Amino acid sequence: MKKYVAILAAVCLAFGVSACGSSSSSSASGSAAASASASASSSASSSGETETSEGERTTFVVGFDAEYPPYGYMDDNGEYTGFDLELAQAVCDIEGWELVKTPINWDSKDMELNSGSIDCIWNGFTMNGREDDYTFSIPYVDNSQVIVVSEDSGINSLEDLSGKIVGVQAASAALTLLQSDEEGGQKALADTFASLQEFPDYNSAFVELQAGSIDAVAMDIGVANYQLKTRGEGYKILDEALNTEQYAVGFKKGNTELCDIVNKDLEELTNNGTVAELAEKYDISDLVCLEAE
Amino acid sequence: MSFSTMLMQLSSGMVKTTGIFFWTIILSLPLGLFVSFGRMSKNPVLKNIVKIYISLMRGTPLMLQLMMVYYFPYLLFGMNIRTFRFPAIIIGFTINYAAYFAEIFRSGIESMPVGQYEAAKLLGYSKSQTFIKIILPQVIKRILPSITNEVITLVKDTSLAFSLAYMEMFTVAKQIVAKDATFTPFIVAAVFYYVFNFVVAFVMEHFEKKLSYYR
Repeated sequence: MKKYVAILAAVCLAFGVSACGSSSSSSASGSAAASASASASSSASSSGETETSEGERTTFVVGFDAEYPPYGYMDDNGEYTGFDLELAQAVCDIEGWELVKTPINWDSKDMELNSGSIDCIWNGFTMNGREDDYTFSIPYVDNSQVIVVSEDSGINSLEDLSGKIVGVQAASAALTLLQSDEEGGQKALADTFASLQEFPDYNSAFVELQAGSIDAVAMDIGVANYQLKTRGEGYKILDEALNTEQYAVGFKKGNTELCDIVNKDLEELTNNGTVAELAEKYDISDLVCLEAE
Repeated sequence: MSFSTMLMQLSSGMVKTTGIFFWTIILSLPLGLFVSFGRMSKNPVLKNIVKIYISLMRGTPLMLQLMMVYYFPYLLFGMNIRTFRFPAIIIGFTINYAAYFAEIFRSGIESMPVGQYEAAKLLGYSKSQTFIKIILPQVIKRILPSITNEVITLVKDTSLAFSLAYMEMFTVAKQIVAKDATFTPFIVAAVFYYVFNFVVAFVMEHFEKKLSYYR
């Protein structure tokens, strides 16, 4: 019996150690949950600085949805990348911060931000309609919410969606828009749908669209372009958009100090051409709304 | 993404999955034993507190419990939880699984005939000696199949850590699916889980054979 206990203890220890070891080493490869713990000591002090002085900040923890290409996703090498993350990296390069990429569960973004787990949400984050809940940077992308349908569905306009089943990502801006009856909201349109189906991610939505169990998916135009490019033929984006809106970096309400620094850097990056360069790389040049002076 | 990179990424996720698995097993089995003592206690206060605990743990979704554990220090004390993600996952899984294990232990312990306690007392065994030397070895033998059930469930439940955005295998698989728009990562993940559980079942069967010394 003692022998078994010893073997079990050894195995457990080995796994425990390897689990810890991997979490510190994989921070380099961008696994952010782990790097959050790896940078435990530094972030513990920097979180205090959020309230006091930004001058001593050493890390910049960006929360993002890693299932949101082209703004934040896992690239071919398994590293987290995307337009927004590279822009955040550029800001960190200017300020001399270490960028910590923390993938978050989009449903819990408020909790992650308010509890100090992340410094900001930087991931195709729509500012319109959320102004009261966050402190936003200057908008950097002109986005619009669009409808994607199958090419042979016969749906060509928003009116055609009457009586159809429309999919949308849970907790997304598209969902908020379709539920809003304020000015600019599309609740009236949503009321003509047979139903509004919420999905945890776009992959499930597209599979159901392909399988025919839903008729359309509402999403951000940048994401729609990426999905259509990746998935090939068979889909189209309706010409009529649901709205136009802007992306900005979302900070915890009242954190203007950090926001001002990022704003200043965004202007600098626009003027020196970095933003345009990145926009071209991720094929969203016509969406970026920052203009060099 | 090439297939080999995908395997690499999923393997690194698998390491984290096994991390959750082993930490939970190491912590929840002993805790479960102590909870079962509380559940069988003659003290009505302790007994009822433990009953409520087990009832809550079994009666609410594990995903909800994980989120509660993670956000609890912030919601109640306004603490910074930046470094709390992994500990929260382990605590969440442990307290949940300890409740299930406690009931399994209880079923085993209560199934032992009273005659054995009486005989042990007659032979001069103390209470703790009776439990450790006579009762517990037989209990372990009896409950092993039920424990195997729970352990295998745990392997699959580790995927719930995605709700706290921990980069275990399922979370990674979802991210690759989002990027590549194919289902391949899910199939690979399924194979990983199956192989892991196959090994778990094999090891547990080996233990069962080792312990069936009277048959």
